[in-house]
Amino acid sequence: MTQGRTRLYHLLLWVIALIFFSPILWIALASFKTKDQILATPPLFVFPPTLANYTDFFSRQNVGEYFVNSFLISIVAVLIAILVSFLASYCFSRFQPRGTSFMMFILLSIRMVPAAATVVPIFLMYSAFSWKDSWPALVLFYAMFSIPFSVWILKGFIDGVSRRYDETALVNGGSRLHVMFKVVLPQVRPGLIAAFIFNLIFVWNEFLVNFIIGGKTTTMIPTALMIGVANNLGTDWTFVATLTTLYILPPIIAIFFFQKYLLVGMTFGTVRGEV
Amino acid sequence: MQHIGSRSQRKSVTQKLSWWAQLGHALDRRERTLPSLLLVPVLLFFIIWNIIPTLWMVGLSFYNYSMISGRPARFIGITNFADILVDNSVWLSFSKTLIWVFSTVAIETALGLLLGLLFWGSAKLPGRRLALTMIFAPMMITPVAASIFFRLMYDPTFGVISWVISLLTGQAAPNLLGDRLTAFGAALAVDVWIWTPFMILITLAALGSVPRAELEAAQIDKLSWIKKFRYVILPNGKFILMLGILLRTIDSFKTMDLIFSLTRGGPGNTTELIAIVLYRKAFEAFNLGWASALAVILLLTAIAFTSIYLFILNRKQAEEA
Repeated sequence: MTQGRTRLYHLLLWVIALIFFSPILWIALASFKTKDQILATPPLFVFPPTLANYTDFFSRQNVGEYFVNSFLISIVAVLIAILVSFLASYCFSRFQPRGTSFMMFILLSIRMVPAAATVVPIFLMYSAFSWKDSWPALVLFYAMFSIPFSVWILKGFIDGVSRRYDETALVNGGSRLHVMFKVVLPQVRPGLIAAFIFNLIFVWNEFLVNFIIGGKTTTMIPTALMIGVANNLGTDWTFVATLTTLYILPPIIAIFFFQKYLLVGMTFGTVRGEV
Repeated sequence: MQHIGSRSQRKSVTQKLSWWAQLGHALDRRERTLPSLLLVPVLLFFIIWNIIPTLWMVGLSFYNYSMISGRPARFIGITNFADILVDNSVWLSFSKTLIWVFSTVAIETALGLLLGLLFWGSAKLPGRRLALTMIFAPMMITPVAASIFFRLMYDPTFGVISWVISLLTGQAAPNLLGDRLTAFGAALAVDVWIWTPFMILITLAALGSVPRAELEAAQIDKLSWIKKFRYVILPNGKFILMLGILLRTIDSFKTMDLIFSLTRGGPGNTTELIAIVLYRKAFEAFNLGWASALAVILLLTAIAFTSIYLFILNRKQAEEA
């Protein structure tokens, strides 16, 4: 291609990228508008930006709580899930106990079930045990929510580590735990990172379960957003736009930095490679 | 090796055999219990958060149980399932779900293939990482947030999309989500916006799996684009494409959060996909027996989908081995 055509091609790609990003830009712009500017007809593309929404936002009482809930619940849940999944996937990969492939099948099925069908049994159990609006109960649910994905990813990565490493370490007098955590674990670091980042995003984005079995003390951001939008007094657009903008920032930053794990992350570890 | 050797040397030669035996026994003992020990945590999670609730739900699907009536659950056998099978509204939303799945997957696959091919040569694009982040962003944010963007843009009084449409048609701004005629399409467009990036990602992965040598050969033979796609790209990339399309089909079948926060199934029942029916029965009507029965049916559907997915995955792995 000539230089001019290459430039044109690159310009085209950037235009496509901007088209995909424009709804997100639009909400981000809205968070710098006053209420009247958001509701203006025709829509305003150029306007004097205001930071009032953000100062108002941080002066609200509950907002900090939603963010803390979202952050802590997802991080604790994912850490538990990864530890549990690492132990299990090491076992599945190395000892291959009877029923391994059945277990992997069931774990994948859990991922394929529609959320509404998952939440009904959880709702039944949580109401009966009065576990609703309980921090540990929600964290443990999200840990289970993250386990299938983590086991699939980690088993794939551990399968890729030669058994010779295990054998050499064992012959040299290392214990199994030493083999698992000092020999195998460092070699599956990309798998651990992918599992960590993507589970974090999935839990961060999860809405239905939090909406149904959460409560006042365990409200996470999507639930807060839904309540903010479906308000009887009409949508409080300045608040919703600000909350949405801040809320979608972490996943977007994460895929900027961890782009090479995107494929593994979005296909359950069944497709490897980079884009 | 050093310390094992020295330890065995310290023991007398007559004890050497028993030392080996001891080591073997110790390993045997560990090897037998360790695997089960490693599985204990995952099984605990699995039993408490999956087996028990699922059995509970399967049990309840044979009962007439409503949370608001306050009456105790009454065993009614398979009546709930029979009710679902003859319920016209269930079949209606099932067919809507099928139309939804088919159209979203078809449009997203076509667009994804097209844009994926376009982005194939983007290795030297300035700021490529940022551009790709912008393209993949829609699928990484929660559908609840996505629905908020579009509620803002579709709004009949101040929405930018409605405004553009009214400029183009010269008529009053349409209420895209509130109108029975347009609500389904408007929701579909949001899904296409969210998930086309996934098919772009899959296409790029499929293209990446095509061996360089075959591409160079095609270059030398001066194959046309269509032939190149048909004879070089498709045979190599079809497995990844198939997995991607299947995953997308399953996820499209699961669609719930998006519709729930965009339209709640409305106006009327125009966007009422099967997951929304389940949600409404369970958490708005609190008819949990009936809802459990429908959830059991969806669960079985998901297991069927999973089997197909694994069948394809395993066949490919068997081919490679």
